[in-house]
Amino acid sequence: MRQSDPTVPRRVDVSSLGVDDEITEEELLRRKEFLQFGSDDVANLVEIHNHARRYAKSVIEDFYEHLLSFEETRIFFEDPEVLKRVQNAQEEYFLRLTQGNYDLAYARDRLRIGAIHERIGLPVKAYLGMYNYYLRAVASRLIEAYESEPKRAWSAFLSLLKLKMLDIGLAIDTYISARERTIREQQEAIQELPIPVLPLREGMLLVPMIGLIDSLRARLFTEQLLAAVRDNRAKVVVIDITGVQAVDSKVANHIVQTVEAARLMGATVIIAGISPQIAQTMVTLGIDLGRIATVGDLQRGIEQAEELLGYMVARSRERPAAGR
Amino acid sequence: MRASILKQDRFLIASVQGSMTDADLLQLREELAAGVRRHRSTGVVVDVTLLDVMDSFAVRTLRGIAQMIKLLGAECVVVGIQPDVAFAMVQLGLTLEGTMTALDLEDGLDVLHARHGGNAANYE
Repeated sequence: MRQSDPTVPRRVDVSSLGVDDEITEEELLRRKEFLQFGSDDVANLVEIHNHARRYAKSVIEDFYEHLLSFEETRIFFEDPEVLKRVQNAQEEYFLRLTQGNYDLAYARDRLRIGAIHERIGLPVKAYLGMYNYYLRAVASRLIEAYESEPKRAWSAFLSLLKLKMLDIGLAIDTYISARERTIREQQEAIQELPIPVLPLREGMLLVPMIGLIDSLRARLFTEQLLAAVRDNRAKVVVIDITGVQAVDSKVANHIVQTVEAARLMGATVIIAGISPQIAQTMVTLGIDLGRIATVGDLQRGIEQAEELLGYMVARSRERPAAGR
Repeated sequence: MRASILKQDRFLIASVQGSMTDADLLQLREELAAGVRRHRSTGVVVDVTLLDVMDSFAVRTLRGIAQMIKLLGAECVVVGIQPDVAFAMVQLGLTLEGTMTALDLEDGLDVLHARHGGNAANYE
């Protein structure tokens, strides 16, 4: 997990964030339609631009005072230089909100900002808190500005709300897509882990299976194992599945098939370390392991393999030598 | 193409060729049966290293050969099943149930020697 460390990237390389291409013209249009954000909203927003210019600075100052009063958000803005820069960016954004022309460039800019905030680990609640604070502050300013025309203030506010919702949607998406990317990368890393096939003694192979076994990995495993049986002239293979968290029926069947294929090549397979959960799954799924030798743990598996190969392991001393 | 059958001591070694028709397989079965009888063999190794395809008929015939040899008082080991052939066979449910298998000719002969080691003296 990424730590909330504000010292990390001062300036983020935007092209590497991968958000540039994630929104298209149609997608933006759909989002606007869904929010019922139309040309009258644009007109409403442009109309309050002059008011916005007046109140932008004070709203931002109030808001940062608010932010700095909370420990978990203060750590992001401890450097006064950063604070200054962020405040300027914020002001620019506030003014941009009432300048019309909410096109693709606008949306990409929002994605970029969202991605930067995700990068530095700013929590979503702080992000949403900012919108909340801003909307409330602007609402009261608008009511003041249009004291005689409450309807006008109200409709301008609603337009602003829609635009904000559009922005929030985009920003949250960058958070989600970043998380999803992390998950995807981790999954790929797990899947790419090769299953080692280790020659343990002459004629004996040890195969420790670890992690998530999916169909693809199971197939690779079969190829690898059968080739290793041939290349090492193995007679006994011990497969240790202590490190396997779960198996589904497909993978279990695959293991069974591998065992039988190895037998056709003259090798005996011993499966060691079936966890209680996996044992239960196998029984529930009705997978027949009747013809497969299974033992409790790896030690017993290796002992049995040695026995099959005719090895006799004996201690050379009564007691193991004391460690130095 | 016909399979070649070699006699080695008290064992017979049948080498199955890459291109065996069903008729060739059936002929192999007959020749092995006759060979075991004639040479009073105690074991047979069927080497299928060169086979890159094993269909259900071939598997059934192999199993038949093994059972037949057993009835004649000898033992049969199938050797040289290649990794991809082995896995393809298993996926088709052709597991050569009850037949001994070994990695290659050498291992196959070892298996036979091990099982008949006690009798070796009678032959010398």
